[in-house]
Amino acid sequence: MRQRRIFARLLALTVVVAFVAVACGSSSKSASKNTTTTAAATAVPTGGTLVLGLEQEPDCVDWAGICSGNSYGFWSANVTTIPRAFSVEKAGDSWEYKPTVLLDGEPTLTTSPKQVVTYKINPKAVWSDGQPITSHDFKYTWDQIAHGKDIYDRTGWSKIESVDDSKPDTAVVTYSSPYADWKSIFGSNYGVFPAHLLEGKDRDAEMANGYTWSGGPWKIESWQKTQQITLVPNDKYWGPKPKLDKVVFKFITDTSAEFQAFKAGEVLGIYPQPQLDAIDQIAAGITGAKAVYSADTGNAEGLWFNVSKPPFDDVNVRKAIAYSIDRDTIVNRLFGKLGVKKAMQTVTAPILKNFADQSAYAQYKPDLSQVDKIMTGGGWKKGADGIWAKGGQRASFVLKSTTGNKRRELTEQVIQQQLKAAGFEMSVTEAKAGDLFGDILPKGDFQIALFANVLTSFYPSNCNLFCSKNIPNAAANYSGNNWYRVNDPKIDAQFQPVESTLDESKAEAANKQGDAELAKNVYFLPLDPLPDILLTSTKIVGPVQDNPVMGPFWNLYAWGLKQ
Amino acid sequence: MLTYVGRRILFSIPVLVIASFLLFGFVRATFDPTARLRSSRDPQTIQRARDELGLDKPLVIQYRDWATDFVRGDWGKSSRTNERVTAMIRRSLWATIQLIVWGVLISAIIAIAVGVYSAVRQYSIGDYLLTGASFAGLSMPPFWFGLIAIQFLAIYPRGWFNLAHPWFYFVGLHSTGSHSIGDYIRHLVLPVMTLTVQIVASWSRYERAAMLDALSADYVRTAKAKGLPPHKVIFRHAFRNALVPLVTVIALDAGALFGGLLITEKIFSVPGMGSLFLNSLLTGDAPVLVAWTVVTASFIIAFNLLADVLYGVLDPRIRYS
Repeated sequence: MRQRRIFARLLALTVVVAFVAVACGSSSKSASKNTTTTAAATAVPTGGTLVLGLEQEPDCVDWAGICSGNSYGFWSANVTTIPRAFSVEKAGDSWEYKPTVLLDGEPTLTTSPKQVVTYKINPKAVWSDGQPITSHDFKYTWDQIAHGKDIYDRTGWSKIESVDDSKPDTAVVTYSSPYADWKSIFGSNYGVFPAHLLEGKDRDAEMANGYTWSGGPWKIESWQKTQQITLVPNDKYWGPKPKLDKVVFKFITDTSAEFQAFKAGEVLGIYPQPQLDAIDQIAAGITGAKAVYSADTGNAEGLWFNVSKPPFDDVNVRKAIAYSIDRDTIVNRLFGKLGVKKAMQTVTAPILKNFADQSAYAQYKPDLSQVDKIMTGGGWKKGADGIWAKGGQRASFVLKSTTGNKRRELTEQVIQQQLKAAGFEMSVTEAKAGDLFGDILPKGDFQIALFANVLTSFYPSNCNLFCSKNIPNAAANYSGNNWYRVNDPKIDAQFQPVESTLDESKAEAANKQGDAELAKNVYFLPLDPLPDILLTSTKIVGPVQDNPVMGPFWNLYAWGLKQ
Repeated sequence: MLTYVGRRILFSIPVLVIASFLLFGFVRATFDPTARLRSSRDPQTIQRARDELGLDKPLVIQYRDWATDFVRGDWGKSSRTNERVTAMIRRSLWATIQLIVWGVLISAIIAIAVGVYSAVRQYSIGDYLLTGASFAGLSMPPFWFGLIAIQFLAIYPRGWFNLAHPWFYFVGLHSTGSHSIGDYIRHLVLPVMTLTVQIVASWSRYERAAMLDALSADYVRTAKAKGLPPHKVIFRHAFRNALVPLVTVIALDAGALFGGLLITEKIFSVPGMGSLFLNSLLTGDAPVLVAWTVVTASFIIAFNLLADVLYGVLDPRIRYS
C-alpha cells in the first residue's frame, strides 16, 4: 500500500516536472495628438528586438489567395517582405503613389493605340537568395492573379493583355482596355512574386503558411500560429536597411488586453481599431505613449441603402432620412475626443481629396420641416403612431450591422432616437461580419446597413460599389460589390470613366460629379472616416507615421529602439 | 474492472457517433462553408469549393464521407486559413491542456485543503472566513477577476515600484524568445489564478460537505472510539471516503474544460480551444467547428468514463458487472 502511494507521488511529480519541461521547450504622461515623430529630430539607434501588438492574425500569407484579405496581415507581413513597384506616401498634406526602389525611375506610360506601361527594374534589385528580380517575376505574378484559381481580387489584372519579359530588366505591360488605376498593379495589394521559387508549384501551398524568401527590407523568420510573426532584416535588400535586429508581431485579439499589454510594456506599439474604450483610454492619457491618429484615412463609414427594397426604393424616404439624422453630433460623440467632430460629406475616402466633392452632402442637416415636406410631397402621411405610412406600408425598417461593435451599437442607438423623432421606425439586427459581408449583403437581404468601406488601393472604387454592372446576382454567385442594387445610368456615366480614363483630371472631375449624383439621390449617407489610431511607446525612435493605405508599419525599416 | 471499462468504451462509440452526426448536421445547417469565398470575384470559386466539400450531396452521405476521413485522421482544411484542422486543434488543445492541468491541480489541492479544514473545524472563525471567501470566489466572474488581477498584479505594481517588467505577464504563455521555466510561470500565474478562483470556491464546498458527512458516519465514530489519533481518523478513514464525490466532480468539470476557457483565454491571449472556437464561430469556419465540437464531446464522454472508473478505485464497495 505504502509502495503504491510512493509510486503515485513519484508519478505525479514526474508528470508535473515533465509538463513544465515540455511547456517551456515548446515552442511622458498623456498622448500627443496628430503627431509624427521624425527621424530628423533624433538619431535612430540600431539593434534590439521590437515587440508590437497585432489585433488580428492573418488567415494566410498567400497574398494572391482569397484567404489573404486580412488588413493586419497585409500591414505586418506583406508590406515588409514583398517588393512592389509603387508605394503610397505622404507629400505635403496629401498622399500620392511613389515609385519604389524596385524600379529604376518612374515607369513610362503610353496610351495609344493601347495602354502600355514599361517598368525598368532597378539592377540592384534581388530576392533574398541573391537572384535578381526580373521581368519574368512580373509576368509570373500577372499570370497567377489573372488566371489562377481562388484569387482574392483580379480587378485591373484581368485587363492586362500581356507582359513582355523578353528583356530581364524591363517589364512591358500591355492592357486590352484602359485601366486608370494602373499604379496599383504590381503596387498596392500584391506586389511581385519570385517566379524562380514558385513557378510550376502550387503557389498557395508554398506561401499560405509562411515563406522564407523576401524582396523587401524584412523577411519572415517564423510564424508561430496563434502567437506571433517574427521578422528579421533581409540582408540582401538593396534599399534602406532595417535598424532593428528583429520585429515580433504578437497577436492580441482582444482590444482591452491589447491596451493592457501596451500599458504593461509587453508590447511597444499597437494599432487598435477605433473603439469607444480605446478612444477613452487615449483621451485619459497613457504614460510613456505617443499617439498618432488621423482622420485622413481610406475609410468611409455610413448608412448603405438597399434601393431595391421598400421603403428605400423611394428616393423621398432616403432624402428624408438624410434630413432626420444629425450626423455631426454622431461623429462628435464617437470621435470628438480625437478631434474628429464633423461628418464626411462624400463617399470618397478622405485620402482621395482630389477626387471628392467635399460638400456633396453638406445640404443634409437635421431639419424636420424638410422631412415633413419631402415625405408629404412623396405621398406619405403620418399615422396615429407618429410613423410615416403610404399605401398601407409603414416607414419601418431593419438596420443590419456587425455584431459586437460597441461603437456601432452607440451609433445605432442615436440614429434610432433621431429617426423616431422624425417619424421613422428602425430596429436593429446584428450579424457576424462573415455572414453580413459574405451572405446577407451580396444577396440583398437587407434594407439598410451600417458599416465602413475600406479602400484596398489608392484610387476611388465607387464604380465597384455603385455601377449597375456590379449588381450581384445568383448566376454569378453574388460576386459583384454593388450590394445596394443602385441601377442608375447617371451614376454609371460618371463612375465608369473613373475606372478607365487615363487623364487624371478627367477622372477627378467625373468622380466629383458622381459624388454629387450619389448625394442628390442619397444612395448612401456618409457618417465618419473611421480614424486610424497608432499608439507607440516613447522607446521607439524614428519616423513613426500612419499610412492609410500601406498601414502603420510601412517604414518599419527606419524605426529604432532606445537602448 | 477491465471488462467494465471495455464495455463502457463500446457504449461510448454509438453515443459519439450520434453526437457527432447531430453536431455535424447543426453546423451544416447553421454555417455555409463557402460564405467567405463570396468576396472572390471568380464565379467558379464557390462551385469548386462546393464540389470539394460535397455540399450538394445528401447530409447523411456528407456525414459518412466526413466521418470516414475523420477516423483516418484527415479532418479537412480550415475554410478561413486553409490550414489543416488537425494541426489547429492540436495546437489549441496543447495550450488549453496547460491551463487545465495547472488549474485543476492547483484548484484540487487548495479546494481539498480548504474543504477538509472547514469540515474539521466546523463553525470556527477559520471556517467562517473560508466559507465567506468561497462565496466571494463563486460570485467573481472570470472576465472581471482576470482584468482586476492584471491591473493589481501586473500593471499597477510596475508603476508603483518602477519595474522594468511586470511581476506577471498576461499575453500568451511565453515571452518572445524566452523558454525559461521562470518566464513560463510568470505567464501562467494570472490565467491559472483566474481559472481557479471559481473552481476552488465550488470544489471546496463539495469537499466540505462530503467531509462533514464522512466525519459523522458510524465507521468514523467507531475509529474514534477505538482510540485512533485524530489525524488517522481524519485522513485514513474520513478523507478517502470524502474524496469520492469530489473526484467525480473534478473529472466531469475537467472534461468540460477541454472545450476551452473562452474568457480566460481571451483575456490572456492564450491561443487555446476557447479562442479557436470563438474565431471559428465568428468567421463561420465550418470544418474547424465540426472537429472542435466532436473533440470536445469526446473529452466529455471520456471524462465521464473516467469518473465512473475512479468511483471503483476509491470505493471498493462499488463493483462493476
